[in-house]
Amino acid sequence: MKDLIEYIAHSLVEHPEAVEVREFRSGGRVKIELRVAKDDMGRVIGKNGRVANAIRALLRVAAERTGQQVTLDVVEP
Amino acid sequence: MSEKATLEVIAPTVEEALAKGLAELGLPAEAVSMEVLDAGSKGFLGLGGRQVRIRLTVKGLEEEPAPAKMEKPAPRPQAAKPRPKPEPKPEPRAETQPGLNAGSPAEQDPAAKLAEETLALLLEKMKVRASVSAQRDNSDSDRAVILVDVRGDDLEVLIGRRAETLNALQYVTSLIVGKQLEQWVQVTVDVEGYRNRRERQLRQMARRMAEQAVRSGRQQTLEPMPAAERRIIHIELRNNPQVETRSVGEEPTRKVTIVPKQ
Repeated sequence: MKDLIEYIAHSLVEHPEAVEVREFRSGGRVKIELRVAKDDMGRVIGKNGRVANAIRALLRVAAERTGQQVTLDVVEP
Repeated sequence: MSEKATLEVIAPTVEEALAKGLAELGLPAEAVSMEVLDAGSKGFLGLGGRQVRIRLTVKGLEEEPAPAKMEKPAPRPQAAKPRPKPEPKPEPRAETQPGLNAGSPAEQDPAAKLAEETLALLLEKMKVRASVSAQRDNSDSDRAVILVDVRGDDLEVLIGRRAETLNALQYVTSLIVGKQLEQWVQVTVDVEGYRNRRERQLRQMARRMAEQAVRSGRQQTLEPMPAAERRIIHIELRNNPQVETRSVGEEPTRKVTIVPKQ
């Protein structure tokens, strides 16, 4: 799941070197934190969170495959 | 050994295929780019599943350190090219849907190729096995529209409630392709013919609700729909003299209302 977020984030931002993805697991729950350069925040969040929500929808498919629950947070750098 | 610029490998999984291909080429993973030609299918209890098929393309042959197994490291005239062209090869599924392939079938449109690779990679990382094929829709000449078709088993998971997942997949693919080509490209993703089925369903519903509006004399409001679906309703009822259609409300709960004309 982490590699899915890494791939999407790298593909959308201007500063791929600043992309950082962390995965926290506890039981069947996975929390993913995505950090990007400040001026790339808009590119991964989108208007009204449209991009972030689309990424979450894809992430959910990946999580359901392994019976896990996943959340994605885009964190301020 | 092989001095070809591309190599196709078949194996049970993408990882195995990649490892096998790299071993055969004697190259590190960074020296090649991978394209999933067929993501395979699981089959039942490991029976009847299709294997994964990938194509490896050697990146900038001359810039890489000469691989151990290369016999003729002689410089080539096309050294300036960043990446050797893959051998022209018929699209695996082109013949199954000749109607869509209105352009020259020999050379796939670069945007279509990119969309195909992007979606295949997304699906691989989502752990979904499917085969992906894309082509440019030439019926719309003034803007780039790429149709990507996804086929496989048990792909309802890619559609989701109210096509939420399918639309997300389509949006993310459009964004990635648009970013790489530095211009917005409309990518339409379809899974197992869902879009066509849905369009028929929407048209039928539009006619039924229009009838009801006329019969009852009251306006009918449909469920919230994305813009592309609302458009289908508007078009279906455009030539109906008895009703008028309007979209009301704000995204994402914008809806079509059908108003009887007096």
